[in-house]
Amino acid sequence: MSGEQTVRLSDGPDLKGSVLIVAWAEDASSLGVQAVDYLMQSLDCREFGEILPEGFFPMGGVNVVDDVARFPESRLYMCDSNNLVIFKSSIPRMGWHRFLTSLLDVAQRDCSVKEIYTLGAMISPAAHTVPRLLISIVNSREIKAALEPYNIMADNDYETPPGQKPTLSSYLAWLAGQRGIPAVNLWVPVPYYLVTIDDPRSVKRLVYFFNSKYDLGVDFTALDAVITEQNSKIAGLFEKSPEIKNMVRRLEVGEGLDGEESERLAREIAEALK
Amino acid sequence: MGIRYIKEPGLSDPVMIAAWPGIGNIGLIALDTLRRSLRAEQMAYIEPCEFFYPKKVIIRGGELVELDFPASDFFYHRSGRRDLILFIGEEQPAEGGGVYAAGSMAYSMANLVLDVAEKYGCSRVYTSGAAVAPIHHTARSRAWAVPNSANLIAEFKGYDNTVLMSDIEGRGGEGNIAGLNGLLLGMARRRGIDAVCIMGEIPVYLQGFPFPYPKGSKSVLEVLSAALDMWLDMEVIDELARQSESELTRLYEKLPDEIKLQLDRLKESTVGAAESEGLITEDDKKKILDDIDKFFKRDAGGDQH
Repeated sequence: MSGEQTVRLSDGPDLKGSVLIVAWAEDASSLGVQAVDYLMQSLDCREFGEILPEGFFPMGGVNVVDDVARFPESRLYMCDSNNLVIFKSSIPRMGWHRFLTSLLDVAQRDCSVKEIYTLGAMISPAAHTVPRLLISIVNSREIKAALEPYNIMADNDYETPPGQKPTLSSYLAWLAGQRGIPAVNLWVPVPYYLVTIDDPRSVKRLVYFFNSKYDLGVDFTALDAVITEQNSKIAGLFEKSPEIKNMVRRLEVGEGLDGEESERLAREIAEALK
Repeated sequence: MGIRYIKEPGLSDPVMIAAWPGIGNIGLIALDTLRRSLRAEQMAYIEPCEFFYPKKVIIRGGELVELDFPASDFFYHRSGRRDLILFIGEEQPAEGGGVYAAGSMAYSMANLVLDVAEKYGCSRVYTSGAAVAPIHHTARSRAWAVPNSANLIAEFKGYDNTVLMSDIEGRGGEGNIAGLNGLLLGMARRRGIDAVCIMGEIPVYLQGFPFPYPKGSKSVLEVLSAALDMWLDMEVIDELARQSESELTRLYEKLPDEIKLQLDRLKESTVGAAESEGLITEDDKKKILDDIDKFFKRDAGGDQH
Protein backbone atom coordinates (compact mmCIF):
# COMPACT_ATOMS: atom_id res chain seq x y z
CA MET A 1 0.00 0.00 0.00
CA SER A 2 2.85 2.39 0.81
CA GLY A 3 4.09 2.14 -2.77
CA GLU A 4 0.86 3.50 -4.23
CA GLN A 5 0.79 7.03 -5.55
CA THR A 6 -0.92 9.28 -3.04
CA VAL A 7 -0.18 12.71 -4.54
CA ARG A 8 -0.88 14.25 -7.94
CA LEU A 9 1.11 17.35 -8.80
CA SER A 10 -0.05 19.03 -11.99
CA ASP A 11 2.48 21.83 -12.00
CA GLY A 12 5.83 21.66 -10.26
CA PRO A 13 6.13 24.56 -7.83
CA ASP A 14 9.36 26.51 -7.71
CA LEU A 15 9.35 27.79 -4.16
CA LYS A 16 12.20 28.22 -1.71
CA GLY A 17 11.73 28.63 2.03
CA SER A 18 7.97 28.85 1.66
CA VAL A 19 5.27 28.85 4.35
CA LEU A 20 2.55 26.17 4.37
CA ILE A 21 -0.92 27.02 5.73
CA VAL A 22 -3.26 24.09 6.38
CA ALA A 23 -7.05 24.40 6.75
CA TRP A 24 -9.45 21.53 7.47
CA ALA A 25 -12.90 21.59 5.90
CA GLU A 26 -14.73 20.23 8.95
CA ASP A 27 -13.62 23.08 11.20
CA ALA A 28 -16.17 24.83 13.44
CA SER A 29 -17.59 27.89 11.65
CA SER A 30 -15.49 26.76 8.61
CA LEU A 31 -12.95 29.13 10.07
CA GLY A 32 -9.73 27.80 8.57
CA VAL A 33 -11.21 27.37 5.10
CA GLN A 34 -12.72 30.87 5.16
CA ALA A 35 -9.39 32.35 6.21
CA VAL A 36 -7.39 30.61 3.45
CA ASP A 37 -10.13 31.41 0.92
CA TYR A 38 -9.81 35.08 1.79
CA LEU A 39 -6.03 34.90 1.50
CA MET A 40 -6.30 33.17 -1.87
CA GLN A 41 -8.78 35.76 -3.16
CA SER A 42 -6.45 38.55 -2.04
CA LEU A 43 -3.25 37.02 -3.38
CA ASP A 44 -2.34 35.52 -6.73
CA CYS A 45 -2.82 31.79 -6.02
CA ARG A 46 -3.27 28.75 -8.21
CA GLU A 47 -3.90 25.07 -7.61
CA PHE A 48 -0.92 22.81 -8.25
CA GLY A 49 -1.87 19.41 -6.91
CA GLU A 50 -3.84 17.21 -4.56
CA ILE A 51 -3.60 14.26 -2.24
CA LEU A 52 -5.67 11.53 -3.85
CA PRO A 53 -8.62 10.26 -1.77
CA GLU A 54 -8.10 6.49 -2.03
CA GLY A 55 -6.98 4.96 1.22
CA PHE A 56 -7.91 8.04 3.23
CA PHE A 57 -11.68 8.30 2.79
CA PRO A 58 -14.40 5.64 2.62
CA MET A 59 -15.41 5.02 -0.96
CA GLY A 60 -18.93 3.91 -0.11
CA GLY A 61 -20.76 6.84 -1.74
CA VAL A 62 -21.05 10.59 -1.25
CA ASN A 63 -22.57 12.91 1.32
CA VAL A 64 -25.18 15.41 0.19
CA VAL A 65 -24.87 18.87 1.79
CA ASP A 66 -27.14 21.78 0.86
CA ASP A 67 -28.63 19.69 -1.95
CA VAL A 68 -25.24 19.01 -3.52
CA ALA A 69 -23.23 15.78 -3.52
CA ARG A 70 -19.88 16.37 -1.83
CA PHE A 71 -16.75 14.34 -2.24
CA PRO A 72 -13.70 14.73 -0.01
CA GLU A 73 -11.00 16.97 -1.47
CA SER A 74 -7.42 17.64 -0.42
CA ARG A 75 -6.02 20.36 -2.67
CA LEU A 76 -2.73 22.20 -2.78
CA TYR A 77 -2.40 25.83 -3.91
CA MET A 78 0.58 28.11 -4.25
CA CYS A 79 0.95 31.87 -4.21
CA ASP A 80 4.34 32.26 -5.92
CA SER A 81 4.84 35.93 -5.34
CA ASN A 82 4.26 35.58 -1.60
CA ASN A 83 6.05 32.24 -1.19
CA LEU A 84 2.90 30.69 0.33
CA VAL A 85 1.56 27.15 -0.04
CA ILE A 86 -2.02 26.51 1.02
CA PHE A 87 -3.49 23.09 1.71
CA LYS A 88 -7.26 22.87 2.00
CA SER A 89 -8.58 19.44 2.87
CA SER A 90 -11.31 17.30 4.30
CA ILE A 91 -10.13 15.46 7.41
CA PRO A 92 -9.09 11.95 6.36
CA ARG A 93 -11.03 9.09 7.95
CA MET A 94 -8.19 6.54 7.84
CA GLY A 95 -4.52 6.23 6.89
CA TRP A 96 -3.70 9.42 8.80
CA HIS A 97 0.03 8.82 9.04
CA ARG A 98 0.40 8.18 5.31
CA PHE A 99 -1.80 11.18 4.52
CA LEU A 100 0.21 13.58 6.67
CA THR A 101 3.49 12.07 5.51
CA SER A 102 2.43 12.63 1.89
CA LEU A 103 1.67 16.27 2.67
CA LEU A 104 5.01 16.74 4.44
CA ASP A 105 6.84 15.06 1.54
CA VAL A 106 5.37 17.59 -0.90
CA ALA A 107 6.04 20.43 1.53
CA GLN A 108 9.67 19.46 2.03
CA ARG A 109 10.62 18.06 -1.38
CA ASP A 110 8.63 20.26 -3.76
CA CYS A 111 8.09 23.49 -1.82
CA SER A 112 11.11 23.70 0.53
CA VAL A 113 8.68 24.65 3.30
CA LYS A 114 10.37 26.33 6.28
CA GLU A 115 7.30 26.80 8.51
CA ILE A 116 3.86 25.19 8.79
CA TYR A 117 0.69 26.70 10.23
CA THR A 118 -2.59 24.88 10.83
CA LEU A 119 -5.79 26.84 11.42
CA GLY A 120 -8.66 25.90 13.67
CA ALA A 121 -11.57 27.13 15.77
CA MET A 122 -12.27 26.45 19.43
CA ILE A 123 -15.75 26.81 20.86
CA SER A 124 -15.91 29.70 23.31
CA PRO A 125 -18.59 30.84 25.79
CA ALA A 126 -17.61 34.47 25.15
CA ALA A 127 -19.77 37.05 23.34
CA HIS A 128 -19.20 37.92 19.69
CA THR A 129 -18.38 41.49 20.65
CA VAL A 130 -15.15 40.66 22.52
CA PRO A 131 -11.86 40.85 20.58
CA ARG A 132 -10.77 37.52 19.13
CA LEU A 133 -7.81 35.85 20.78
CA LEU A 134 -5.22 33.90 18.86
CA ILE A 135 -3.82 30.84 20.64
CA SER A 136 -0.76 28.93 19.48
CA ILE A 137 0.57 25.43 20.07
CA VAL A 138 4.08 25.01 18.68
CA ASN A 139 6.47 22.14 18.08
CA SER A 140 9.66 24.07 18.91
CA ARG A 141 10.86 26.82 21.23
CA GLU A 142 12.40 28.70 18.32
CA ILE A 143 9.09 29.21 16.53
CA LYS A 144 7.43 30.14 19.81
CA ALA A 145 9.99 32.90 20.27
CA ALA A 146 9.47 34.05 16.67
CA LEU A 147 5.73 34.52 17.38
CA GLU A 148 6.22 36.74 20.43
CA PRO A 149 5.64 40.08 18.63
CA TYR A 150 2.20 39.02 17.35
CA ASN A 151 0.02 39.16 20.48
CA ILE A 152 -0.64 35.44 20.66
CA MET A 153 -1.53 33.42 23.77
CA ALA A 154 1.32 30.96 23.74
CA ASP A 155 1.59 29.40 27.20
CA ASN A 156 -1.22 26.90 27.45
CA ASP A 157 -0.99 23.55 29.23
CA TYR A 158 -3.20 20.75 27.95
CA GLU A 159 -3.54 16.96 28.00
CA THR A 160 -6.06 15.03 25.93
CA PRO A 161 -8.87 14.03 28.32
CA PRO A 162 -9.78 10.32 28.53
CA GLY A 163 -12.16 9.28 25.77
CA GLN A 164 -10.99 12.01 23.39
CA LYS A 165 -8.28 12.01 20.72
CA PRO A 166 -5.70 14.63 19.74
CA THR A 167 -6.49 16.84 16.74
CA LEU A 168 -5.06 16.08 13.31
CA SER A 169 -3.33 19.45 13.52
CA SER A 170 -1.41 18.29 16.61
CA TYR A 171 -0.48 15.10 14.76
CA LEU A 172 0.81 17.13 11.79
CA ALA A 173 2.84 19.43 14.03
CA TRP A 174 4.38 16.44 15.78
CA LEU A 175 5.33 14.75 12.49
CA ALA A 176 6.72 18.05 11.18
CA GLY A 177 8.82 18.28 14.35
CA GLN A 178 10.26 14.82 13.62
CA ARG A 179 11.56 16.29 10.35
CA GLY A 180 12.84 19.47 11.97
CA ILE A 181 10.17 21.67 10.37
CA PRO A 182 8.79 24.31 12.77
CA ALA A 183 4.99 24.08 12.98
CA VAL A 184 2.29 26.10 14.73
CA ASN A 185 -1.32 25.17 15.44
CA LEU A 186 -3.26 28.44 15.50
CA TRP A 187 -6.62 28.38 17.30
CA VAL A 188 -9.26 31.11 17.55
CA PRO A 189 -11.99 30.80 20.19
CA VAL A 190 -15.28 31.32 18.30
CA PRO A 191 -18.46 32.31 20.20
CA TYR A 192 -20.51 29.15 20.52
CA TYR A 193 -23.56 30.71 18.89
CA LEU A 194 -21.58 31.44 15.72
CA VAL A 195 -20.03 27.98 15.40
CA THR A 196 -22.60 26.74 12.90
CA ILE A 197 -22.73 30.06 11.05
CA ASP A 198 -19.81 32.35 10.15
CA ASP A 199 -17.52 34.37 12.34
CA PRO A 200 -15.81 36.95 10.10
CA ARG A 201 -14.05 38.54 13.10
CA SER A 202 -12.21 35.28 13.73
CA VAL A 203 -11.41 35.02 10.02
CA LYS A 204 -9.99 38.52 10.17
CA ARG A 205 -7.88 37.67 13.23
CA LEU A 206 -6.20 34.84 11.32
CA VAL A 207 -5.74 36.75 8.07
CA TYR A 208 -4.45 39.77 10.02
CA PHE A 209 -1.78 37.60 11.64
CA PHE A 210 -0.48 36.28 8.32
CA ASN A 211 -0.66 39.73 6.77
CA SER A 212 1.44 41.18 9.62
CA LYS A 213 3.95 38.36 9.79
CA TYR A 214 4.57 37.95 6.08
CA ASP A 215 3.75 41.45 4.82
CA LEU A 216 1.20 40.17 2.31
CA GLY A 217 -0.55 43.47 1.60
CA VAL A 218 -4.03 41.98 2.08
CA ASP A 219 -6.95 44.33 1.50
CA PHE A 220 -9.42 43.91 4.38
CA THR A 221 -12.23 45.98 2.84
CA ALA A 222 -14.39 43.02 1.85
CA LEU A 223 -13.94 41.27 5.19
CA ASP A 224 -14.71 44.46 7.11
CA ALA A 225 -17.90 44.82 5.08
CA VAL A 226 -18.99 41.30 6.10
CA ILE A 227 -18.27 42.13 9.76
CA THR A 228 -20.25 45.37 9.50
CA GLU A 229 -23.17 43.55 7.91
CA GLN A 230 -23.16 40.88 10.63
CA ASN A 231 -22.99 43.56 13.34
CA SER A 232 -25.90 45.35 11.76
CA LYS A 233 -28.08 42.24 11.61
CA ILE A 234 -27.32 41.40 15.25
CA ALA A 235 -28.05 45.02 16.25
CA GLY A 236 -31.40 44.65 14.51
CA LEU A 237 -32.10 41.56 16.55
CA PHE A 238 -31.17 43.42 19.76
CA GLU A 239 -33.68 46.13 18.91
CA LYS A 240 -36.43 43.61 18.41
CA SER A 241 -35.48 41.50 21.43
CA PRO A 242 -34.04 43.19 24.55
CA GLU A 243 -33.84 39.72 26.15
CA ILE A 244 -31.34 38.55 23.54
CA LYS A 245 -29.38 41.77 23.97
CA ASN A 246 -29.30 41.16 27.71
CA MET A 247 -28.05 37.61 27.23
CA VAL A 248 -25.14 38.86 25.11
CA ARG A 249 -24.38 41.55 27.69
CA ARG A 250 -24.24 38.86 30.37
CA LEU A 251 -21.77 36.87 28.26
CA GLU A 252 -19.68 40.03 27.81
CA VAL A 253 -19.22 40.33 31.59
CA GLY A 254 -18.51 36.62 31.99
CA GLU A 255 -21.90 35.54 33.32
CA GLY A 256 -23.03 32.17 32.07
CA LEU A 257 -26.40 31.40 30.50
CA ASP A 258 -28.49 28.37 31.39
CA GLY A 259 -29.10 25.66 28.80
CA GLU A 260 -32.43 27.02 27.62
CA GLU A 261 -31.07 30.56 27.26
CA SER A 262 -27.99 29.31 25.39
CA GLU A 263 -30.15 27.42 22.93
CA ARG A 264 -32.45 30.37 22.40
CA LEU A 265 -29.55 32.76 21.82
CA ALA A 266 -27.96 30.42 19.25
CA ARG A 267 -31.30 29.86 17.51
CA GLU A 268 -32.25 33.54 17.27
CA ILE A 269 -28.78 34.68 16.18
CA ALA A 270 -28.79 31.99 13.48
CA GLU A 271 -32.22 33.17 12.33
CA ALA A 272 -31.11 36.81 12.25
CA LEU A 273 -27.97 36.04 10.24
CA LYS A 274 -29.71 33.93 7.60
CA MET B 1 6.59 0.27 9.80
CA GLY B 2 7.97 -2.69 11.68
CA ILE B 3 9.29 -4.18 14.84
CA ARG B 4 11.79 -2.35 17.01
CA TYR B 5 13.86 -4.59 19.29
CA ILE B 6 14.90 -3.19 22.65
CA LYS B 7 16.80 -6.40 23.38
CA GLU B 8 17.05 -9.76 21.68
CA PRO B 9 17.20 -12.34 24.47
CA GLY B 10 18.12 -15.96 23.87
CA LEU B 11 15.01 -18.01 24.62
CA SER B 12 14.53 -21.72 25.09
CA ASP B 13 11.61 -23.45 23.30
CA PRO B 14 9.40 -20.36 23.69
CA VAL B 15 5.63 -20.11 23.40
CA MET B 16 3.90 -16.86 22.49
CA ILE B 17 0.73 -15.56 24.15
CA ALA B 18 -1.02 -12.55 22.60
CA ALA B 19 -3.92 -10.39 23.67
CA TRP B 20 -5.76 -7.29 22.50
CA PRO B 21 -8.71 -5.37 24.00
CA GLY B 22 -12.13 -6.92 23.51
CA ILE B 23 -15.34 -7.74 25.37
CA GLY B 24 -14.69 -7.53 29.12
CA ASN B 25 -10.98 -7.14 28.28
CA ILE B 26 -10.71 -10.77 29.29
CA GLY B 27 -7.60 -11.62 27.30
CA LEU B 28 -5.90 -8.34 28.08
CA ILE B 29 -6.45 -8.67 31.85
CA ALA B 30 -5.25 -12.28 31.80
CA LEU B 31 -2.07 -11.42 29.96
CA ASP B 32 -1.33 -8.25 31.88
CA THR B 33 -1.75 -10.14 35.15
CA LEU B 34 0.61 -12.81 33.85
CA ARG B 35 3.14 -10.19 32.73
CA ARG B 36 3.13 -8.54 36.14
CA SER B 37 3.31 -11.75 38.14
CA LEU B 38 6.20 -13.08 36.03
CA ARG B 39 7.87 -9.65 35.94
CA ALA B 40 8.28 -10.14 32.22
CA GLU B 41 10.61 -7.63 30.57
CA GLN B 42 9.92 -5.70 27.40
CA MET B 43 11.94 -6.90 24.43
CA ALA B 44 10.34 -5.18 21.44
CA TYR B 45 7.44 -3.12 20.16
CA ILE B 46 5.62 -2.57 16.90
CA GLU B 47 6.01 0.94 15.55
CA PRO B 48 2.56 2.44 15.99
CA CYS B 49 2.31 5.32 13.51
CA GLU B 50 0.93 3.46 10.52
CA PHE B 51 -1.51 1.40 12.58
CA PHE B 52 -3.04 3.86 14.99
CA TYR B 53 -4.27 7.40 15.45
CA PRO B 54 -2.56 9.08 18.43
CA LYS B 55 -4.33 8.61 21.76
CA LYS B 56 -2.97 11.54 23.71
CA VAL B 57 -1.17 14.84 23.26
CA ILE B 58 0.66 16.66 26.05
CA ILE B 59 1.20 20.40 25.73
CA ARG B 60 3.28 22.35 28.24
CA GLY B 61 3.71 26.10 28.05
CA GLY B 62 2.21 26.11 24.57
CA GLU B 63 4.73 23.55 23.33
CA LEU B 64 3.74 20.13 22.05
CA VAL B 65 5.99 17.91 24.15
CA GLU B 66 4.54 14.45 23.62
CA LEU B 67 2.23 12.53 21.34
CA ASP B 68 1.33 9.05 22.59
CA PHE B 69 0.12 6.16 20.46
CA PRO B 70 -1.51 2.90 21.54
CA ALA B 71 1.27 0.46 22.44
CA SER B 72 1.89 -2.97 20.88
CA ASP B 73 4.60 -4.45 23.08
CA PHE B 74 6.46 -7.75 23.27
CA PHE B 75 7.70 -9.02 26.64
CA TYR B 76 9.74 -12.10 27.53
CA HIS B 77 10.10 -14.35 30.53
CA ARG B 78 12.66 -17.10 31.05
CA SER B 79 11.13 -19.91 33.08
CA GLY B 80 14.10 -22.24 32.97
CA ARG B 81 12.22 -24.81 30.90
CA ARG B 82 9.82 -23.27 28.45
CA ASP B 83 10.24 -19.54 27.97
CA LEU B 84 7.44 -17.15 27.16
CA ILE B 85 6.93 -14.25 24.77
CA LEU B 86 3.94 -12.11 25.69
CA PHE B 87 2.41 -9.70 23.20
CA ILE B 88 0.03 -7.06 24.54
CA GLY B 89 -1.74 -4.74 22.11
CA GLU B 90 -3.42 -1.69 23.61
CA GLU B 91 -5.72 -1.31 20.61
CA GLN B 92 -6.71 -3.34 17.55
CA PRO B 93 -5.80 -1.63 14.26
CA ALA B 94 -9.29 -1.10 12.90
CA GLU B 95 -9.92 0.60 9.57
CA GLY B 96 -13.04 2.73 9.50
CA GLY B 97 -13.43 3.16 13.24
CA GLY B 98 -14.46 -0.36 14.35
CA VAL B 99 -13.36 -1.92 17.64
CA TYR B 100 -11.95 -5.08 16.08
CA ALA B 101 -9.11 -5.28 13.64
CA ALA B 102 -10.03 -5.50 9.99
CA GLY B 103 -8.53 -4.90 6.57
CA SER B 104 -4.95 -4.66 5.43
CA MET B 105 -3.69 -3.14 8.69
CA ALA B 106 -4.96 -6.12 10.68
CA TYR B 107 -3.21 -8.43 8.24
CA SER B 108 0.04 -6.45 8.57
CA MET B 109 -0.07 -6.45 12.34
CA ALA B 110 -0.81 -10.18 12.56
CA ASN B 111 2.16 -10.80 10.26
CA LEU B 112 4.47 -8.68 12.43
CA VAL B 113 3.41 -10.54 15.59
CA LEU B 114 3.99 -13.88 13.86
CA ASP B 115 7.35 -12.67 12.52
CA VAL B 116 8.54 -12.45 16.14
CA ALA B 117 7.05 -15.86 16.94
CA GLU B 118 8.86 -17.35 13.95
CA LYS B 119 12.15 -15.56 14.62
CA TYR B 120 12.26 -17.07 18.11
CA GLY B 121 11.01 -20.49 16.97
CA CYS B 122 7.81 -20.42 19.03
CA SER B 123 6.28 -23.88 18.93
CA ARG B 124 2.84 -22.53 19.70
CA VAL B 125 0.93 -19.25 19.77
CA TYR B 126 -1.97 -18.58 22.12
CA THR B 127 -4.47 -15.78 21.74
CA SER B 128 -7.06 -14.97 24.37
CA GLY B 129 -10.41 -13.24 24.45
CA ALA B 130 -14.03 -13.48 25.54
CA ALA B 131 -16.77 -16.03 24.89
CA VAL B 132 -20.22 -14.49 25.35
CA ALA B 133 -22.33 -17.12 27.13
CA PRO B 134 -25.71 -17.39 28.88
CA ILE B 135 -24.16 -17.63 32.33
CA HIS B 136 -24.64 -15.67 35.54
CA HIS B 137 -21.89 -13.46 36.90
CA THR B 138 -21.82 -15.48 40.12
CA ALA B 139 -21.01 -18.66 38.17
CA ARG B 140 -17.52 -19.87 37.35
CA SER B 141 -16.56 -18.97 33.78
CA ARG B 142 -15.40 -21.79 31.59
CA ALA B 143 -12.73 -21.49 28.95
CA TRP B 144 -13.54 -22.17 25.30
CA ALA B 145 -10.57 -23.43 23.32
CA VAL B 146 -10.35 -23.10 19.55
CA PRO B 147 -7.20 -24.61 18.00
CA ASN B 148 -6.05 -24.06 14.43
CA SER B 149 -5.37 -27.76 13.97
CA ALA B 150 -7.40 -30.89 14.72
CA ASN B 151 -4.24 -32.41 16.25
CA LEU B 152 -4.65 -30.15 19.28
CA ILE B 153 -8.24 -31.10 20.11
CA ALA B 154 -7.41 -34.07 22.32
CA GLU B 155 -5.00 -32.03 24.42
CA PHE B 156 -7.50 -29.30 25.15
CA LYS B 157 -10.34 -31.72 25.84
CA GLY B 158 -8.19 -32.98 28.69
CA TYR B 159 -7.97 -29.68 30.57
CA ASP B 160 -10.25 -28.88 33.48
CA ASN B 161 -13.16 -26.47 32.92
CA THR B 162 -12.36 -26.25 29.19
CA VAL B 163 -14.78 -26.78 26.32
CA LEU B 164 -14.51 -26.92 22.55
CA MET B 165 -17.02 -25.34 20.19
CA SER B 166 -18.57 -28.75 19.60
CA ASP B 167 -19.29 -29.06 23.36
CA ILE B 168 -21.60 -26.08 23.15
CA GLU B 169 -25.13 -27.06 22.31
CA GLY B 170 -26.48 -25.75 19.05
CA ARG B 171 -23.14 -24.67 17.66
CA GLY B 172 -22.16 -27.87 15.90
CA GLY B 173 -18.50 -27.02 16.44
CA GLU B 174 -18.89 -23.79 14.50
CA GLY B 175 -18.50 -20.16 15.42
CA ASN B 176 -16.55 -17.01 14.76
CA ILE B 177 -13.65 -15.27 16.50
CA ALA B 178 -13.61 -11.58 15.69
CA GLY B 179 -10.50 -9.47 15.22
CA LEU B 180 -6.86 -10.35 15.69
CA ASN B 181 -7.53 -13.17 18.17
CA GLY B 182 -9.10 -15.06 15.29
CA LEU B 183 -6.99 -13.76 12.42
CA LEU B 184 -3.78 -14.80 14.15
CA LEU B 185 -4.98 -18.43 14.34
CA GLY B 186 -5.56 -18.55 10.60
CA MET B 187 -2.33 -16.83 9.69
CA ALA B 188 -0.29 -18.96 12.10
CA ARG B 189 -1.69 -22.04 10.37
CA ARG B 190 -0.48 -20.69 7.01
CA ARG B 191 3.01 -20.53 8.52
CA GLY B 192 2.73 -24.00 10.02
CA ILE B 193 2.60 -22.76 13.62
CA ASP B 194 0.16 -24.36 16.07
CA ALA B 195 -2.13 -21.78 17.61
CA VAL B 196 -5.02 -21.85 20.05
CA CYS B 197 -7.47 -19.15 21.11
CA ILE B 198 -8.54 -19.46 24.74
CA MET B 199 -11.71 -17.53 25.52
CA GLY B 200 -13.07 -16.95 29.01
CA GLU B 201 -16.83 -16.84 29.38
CA ILE B 202 -18.58 -13.55 30.09
CA PRO B 203 -22.30 -13.31 30.93
CA VAL B 204 -24.38 -12.45 27.91
CA TYR B 205 -25.92 -9.45 29.69
CA LEU B 206 -22.51 -7.82 30.23
CA GLN B 207 -21.32 -7.98 26.63
CA GLY B 208 -22.47 -4.48 25.70
CA PHE B 209 -21.01 -2.72 28.72
CA PRO B 210 -17.48 -1.47 29.32
CA PHE B 211 -16.99 -3.56 32.47
CA PRO B 212 -13.82 -5.63 32.74
CA TYR B 213 -14.56 -9.26 33.58
CA PRO B 214 -11.59 -10.80 35.45
CA LYS B 215 -13.51 -14.01 36.24
CA GLY B 216 -13.25 -14.84 32.55
CA SER B 217 -9.57 -13.90 32.62
CA LYS B 218 -9.00 -16.32 35.47
CA SER B 219 -10.39 -19.22 33.46
CA VAL B 220 -8.00 -18.28 30.61
CA LEU B 221 -5.05 -18.27 33.02
CA GLU B 222 -6.05 -21.65 34.45
CA VAL B 223 -5.97 -23.24 30.99
CA LEU B 224 -2.68 -21.55 30.14
CA SER B 225 -1.19 -22.78 33.41
CA ALA B 226 -2.18 -26.34 32.52
CA ALA B 227 -1.14 -26.15 28.88
CA LEU B 228 2.23 -24.59 29.72
CA ASP B 229 2.68 -26.91 32.70
CA MET B 230 3.57 -23.83 34.68
CA TRP B 231 2.42 -22.84 38.16
CA LEU B 232 0.88 -19.40 38.08
CA ASP B 233 0.14 -17.26 41.11
CA MET B 234 -3.62 -16.63 41.02
CA GLU B 235 -3.77 -14.32 44.05
CA VAL B 236 -4.02 -11.10 42.04
CA ILE B 237 -6.59 -12.35 39.53
CA ASP B 238 -8.63 -13.90 42.37
CA GLU B 239 -8.75 -10.52 44.09
CA LEU B 240 -9.72 -8.76 40.85
CA ALA B 241 -12.46 -11.33 40.28
CA ARG B 242 -13.78 -10.89 43.83
CA GLN B 243 -13.90 -7.11 43.47
CA SER B 244 -15.60 -7.38 40.10
CA GLU B 245 -18.24 -9.83 41.35
CA SER B 246 -18.95 -7.65 44.34
CA GLU B 247 -19.35 -4.56 42.15
CA LEU B 248 -21.55 -6.39 39.66
CA THR B 249 -23.70 -7.79 42.46
CA ARG B 250 -24.16 -4.27 43.82
CA LEU B 251 -25.35 -3.11 40.39
CA TYR B 252 -27.45 -6.25 40.00
CA GLU B 253 -29.36 -5.48 43.18
CA LYS B 254 -30.47 -2.20 41.62
CA LEU B 255 -32.11 -3.97 38.69
CA PRO B 256 -35.91 -4.14 38.60
CA ASP B 257 -37.28 -7.43 39.98
CA GLU B 258 -38.60 -8.48 36.56
CA ILE B 259 -35.15 -8.33 35.00
CA LYS B 260 -33.49 -9.95 38.00
CA LEU B 261 -35.91 -12.86 37.77
CA GLN B 262 -34.95 -13.37 34.13
CA LEU B 263 -31.25 -13.18 34.91
CA ASP B 264 -31.55 -15.42 37.97
CA ARG B 265 -32.56 -18.22 35.61
CA LEU B 266 -29.01 -18.09 34.26
CA LYS B 267 -27.75 -19.25 37.68
CA GLU B 268 -29.10 -22.68 36.88
CA SER B 269 -27.50 -22.93 33.49
CA THR B 270 -24.28 -23.78 31.82
CA VAL B 271 -23.91 -23.06 28.13
CA GLY B 272 -24.69 -26.49 26.81
CA ALA B 273 -27.17 -27.56 29.47
CA ALA B 274 -29.06 -24.31 29.44
CA GLU B 275 -29.93 -24.48 25.82
CA SER B 276 -30.45 -28.23 25.66
CA GLU B 277 -32.79 -28.25 28.63
CA GLY B 278 -34.72 -25.30 27.31
CA LEU B 279 -34.07 -23.12 30.35
CA ILE B 280 -32.76 -20.25 28.24
CA THR B 281 -34.04 -19.99 24.71
CA GLU B 282 -32.83 -17.57 22.06
CA ASP B 283 -36.06 -15.58 22.62
CA ASP B 284 -35.32 -15.45 26.35
CA LYS B 285 -31.81 -14.27 25.62
CA LYS B 286 -33.06 -11.52 23.32
CA LYS B 287 -35.64 -10.39 25.86
CA ILE B 288 -33.05 -10.30 28.64
CA LEU B 289 -30.68 -8.20 26.53
CA ASP B 290 -33.48 -5.83 25.46
CA ASP B 291 -34.64 -5.39 29.07
CA ILE B 292 -31.11 -4.76 30.30
CA ASP B 293 -30.48 -2.31 27.52
CA LYS B 294 -33.70 -0.42 28.29
CA PHE B 295 -32.87 -0.40 31.99
CA PHE B 296 -29.45 1.14 31.51
CA LYS B 297 -30.76 3.68 29.00
CA ARG B 298 -33.40 4.74 31.54
CA ASP B 299 -30.75 4.85 34.23
CA ALA B 300 -28.56 7.08 32.11
CA GLY B 301 -31.53 9.40 31.77
CA GLY B 302 -31.56 9.96 35.52
CA ASP B 303 -34.40 7.66 36.66
CA GLN B 304 -33.96 6.16 40.12
CA HIS B 305 -34.17 2.42 40.73
